[in-house]
Amino acid sequence: MSVAAAPSRPLGRTRLRELFPGRRPLLFAGLAAMLVMVGIAALGLGATRIPAARVAAILVEAAAGQPTQGGDVLIVLQVRLPRLLLGLLVGAALASSGALMQGLFRNPLADPGLVGVSAGAALAAAATIVLGDALLTPLLGALPFGLLPVGAFAGGLLTTLALYRIATRGGRTSMATMLLAGVAFGALSGAVMGLFSYVSDDRQLRDLTFWSLGSLSGATWTKIAAAAPFILPGLVLTPFLARGLNGLTLGEAEAYHLGVPVQRVKALAILLVAVAVGASVACAGMIGFVGIVVPHVLRLLAGPDHRMLLPASAMLGAALVVAADTVARTIAAPAELPIGILTAAIGAPFFLWLLLRRQGGLVL
Amino acid sequence: MSAILEAARVTYERGGRRLLDHIDLAVEEGSFTVILGPNGAGKSTLLRVLCGELAPDAGEMRLTGEPLRAIPPWRLAHRRAVMPQASDLAFPFTAFEVASLGVEGLGRGLSRADRQRLALEALDRADVAHLARRDYQTLSGGERQRVHFARVLAQLSAGRTLEARQVLFLDEPIASLDLKHQLALLDVARGLVREGVTVIAVLHDLQLAAGLADEAVLLQGGRLVARGRPDAVLTPARLADIFGVALAGPGLPPHPWSLAPHPAG
Amino acid sequence: MTALSRRALLLAPALLAALPRARAAEPRRIVSIGGAVTEILYRLGRGDEIVGVDSTSQYPVEALRTKANVGYVRALGAEGILSLRPTHVIAIEGAGPPDALRLVEQAGVPVIRIPEEPSTAGIAKRVEIVAQSVDAAAEGAVLAAEIAEGFAKLTAAREKVTRPTRTLFVLSLQNGRPLVGGKGTTADAMLALAGATNVAEGLNGWKPLSDEGLIAAAPEAVVMMAHGPSGDAPDPFALPAFAAIPAAAQKRLVVMDGIYLLGFGPRTPAAALDLIAALHPDQAGSMQP
Repeated sequence: MSVAAAPSRPLGRTRLRELFPGRRPLLFAGLAAMLVMVGIAALGLGATRIPAARVAAILVEAAAGQPTQGGDVLIVLQVRLPRLLLGLLVGAALASSGALMQGLFRNPLADPGLVGVSAGAALAAAATIVLGDALLTPLLGALPFGLLPVGAFAGGLLTTLALYRIATRGGRTSMATMLLAGVAFGALSGAVMGLFSYVSDDRQLRDLTFWSLGSLSGATWTKIAAAAPFILPGLVLTPFLARGLNGLTLGEAEAYHLGVPVQRVKALAILLVAVAVGASVACAGMIGFVGIVVPHVLRLLAGPDHRMLLPASAMLGAALVVAADTVARTIAAPAELPIGILTAAIGAPFFLWLLLRRQGGLVL
Repeated sequence: MSAILEAARVTYERGGRRLLDHIDLAVEEGSFTVILGPNGAGKSTLLRVLCGELAPDAGEMRLTGEPLRAIPPWRLAHRRAVMPQASDLAFPFTAFEVASLGVEGLGRGLSRADRQRLALEALDRADVAHLARRDYQTLSGGERQRVHFARVLAQLSAGRTLEARQVLFLDEPIASLDLKHQLALLDVARGLVREGVTVIAVLHDLQLAAGLADEAVLLQGGRLVARGRPDAVLTPARLADIFGVALAGPGLPPHPWSLAPHPAG
Repeated sequence: MTALSRRALLLAPALLAALPRARAAEPRRIVSIGGAVTEILYRLGRGDEIVGVDSTSQYPVEALRTKANVGYVRALGAEGILSLRPTHVIAIEGAGPPDALRLVEQAGVPVIRIPEEPSTAGIAKRVEIVAQSVDAAAEGAVLAAEIAEGFAKLTAAREKVTRPTRTLFVLSLQNGRPLVGGKGTTADAMLALAGATNVAEGLNGWKPLSDEGLIAAAPEAVVMMAHGPSGDAPDPFALPAFAAIPAAAQKRLVVMDGIYLLGFGPRTPAAALDLIAALHPDQAGSMQP
């Protein structure tokens, strides 16, 4: 017995251009323009008034290798320019890590901290400050300058590695297990840090505060040189995970059926996040909001395709952090506001506006 | 015709229970095979082992002569496509984007326009072309099933640029579909078989299976009880024994519905 | 003259000779970071030379009102400080972040760091170093002498105290748990100066005190800091555990302004005298501030 189908609807001539996200080149052009404008503002604005022409002249002279004179040279080349570059690196790292995490956990509420790197870095920083001070300062007089960022970075990586091992059995990483282990570790880290605060003296507590107040005010060329080798390769490699993450939105089994090397994607994503976020936190402390919200905003604007989302998140995150830093150091000059307040103040209203505008609400 | 998929003494255990017990199976290339059995017989498990998703605890699996586990996922994706029983989607893709997931990164010598065309054709074949720009999460269960069907069709099309011998796995593909679409989907599947694709499906509906399939594989309690032509496998004695149902007539009644003849092609 | 002021006078010519640049002609523009530093500068008569202060410079009141605010002592920005075109930055130890101050130095502005040690010797040292850095050696000597005199009066008053009051210094009452000043804190040092016994000296640093610990400590008086312009402090005796201590009988609570009491600056001798008077009223006798 054969089964024959009823005559199907005639094949319509669907216009490809309607379906092709023609918005995409426009989106990237817009993000690039935003980055340029934000960069110009970051170099031109500040507590000190420096005319734009002078800023440009300083940059040109420095690029040409000519020696430059004047107090404003220091401000442009040693204060504003490092802040701009560090802000770009950190913003791109945090936002693209957020996008990676959300894709990996298949949950729009995931943030880069879920792999344990932030909690681990914070704990390592506290340990370095308290124990390092107790053990090393009597010997060396003062802590070696780079010890704290290096310690924080190492702590973040080691924590992620530990969580990864816990969550991986028989060559397969369970994201659910990693999430739970991360929660448990976060609680443990908080408890140990509480203990450190308890036993530490005023000076150590103060140093710990420095570190945890997210800020770009400590940006120096040294920090950029230290962080860039960790963040830049990650940013370059991240878009290669786009196809894998797209497949994973259907679930791990389906992704496998589509030919995605699921375990490799997971391992690489976790590694990239740990390295990028670890370096960011080590150099600039904890800056919140960027990792969760930037990918969301882009999804609302341009859809969830990771081939767009990953690079676009990096660009938008970089712009957000630099813009927030510029406002933070000019709005109450000569004082500086904490950057976390600004990233939330700029990002949250825009995000809420997008949510309200969207018809039918957001289906999570 | 030779066997495209072979399973030898395949055993799978989970949580102390043996879900598949020494299954021996050879699926003919270009055939339509249905896996049947009562609830809990291990049908879905068998399908998942056959398509490579689960690794058997014992026994061997071979696809086109090669050990299944040795085939890298990317190449495997050109040889076989799997339509799941249920699938969720974490982010708000459109139906077109979901179908495009089937062609993304697959196939050789395909331009972006080619891939879009394949996705659109697949959507049309699954009768969801009109839903292409709709948000997947706003679709009904049946519509979502058809979008996934489009996705696997697209995957097969892309795979055909690299592999000539392909298998399509369907796990309860018509569960949430209305009558018209149930018959339409199975008709497309039969069309694929005519084109040389091997189809392996898990179906609940015995009568439909009997009318469609070249080969029936009957499972009970993880064991392969019978295989062969459907009318030979689904005898009243078997039906009574395995499914616990006593039929009044000489055999399985013919499927009550049949669609108008479809022009060949 | 005390030894301190003699030393300051001797140093003065050396300092004048050691000035690296011909800054005598250029008016001084000082960015003062740290409440103690600002207070000392004003007392030295150099308030006019200050162009910027940090947010902890709350005394004198005019400092934050009339000068530019460069932000919190531990969250400074190099550009913000440099935008005031300072000739000197005088910063309490612990100001930062360190990189920001380093950038200021790189710009050619000297950053003089003032140690934070909370003791009588520490105060003298702070006055000395601040005075040196602004060529106010003479005024510094005068101030140091005044302070030394104040401490002398304080010592005399303290010797009159025959029965030290058992005192507890409560920094805050978060969530009903008192945070108290143990050994090594500025509060501990102040209580010692006031001739009182610190019942929390078994604890190290600022620590939370449990209810049992509180009752076992049995303080006869509680000292707290005033919050805000109204000069009030939350009432500790509202907490049940506090009702069981000796201080509760007459609600012996001493409230003083935070910076006045713990700032370890020029006003400390006066603050300590006030504290003695508050804690040992019967034994005060003829104590005059």
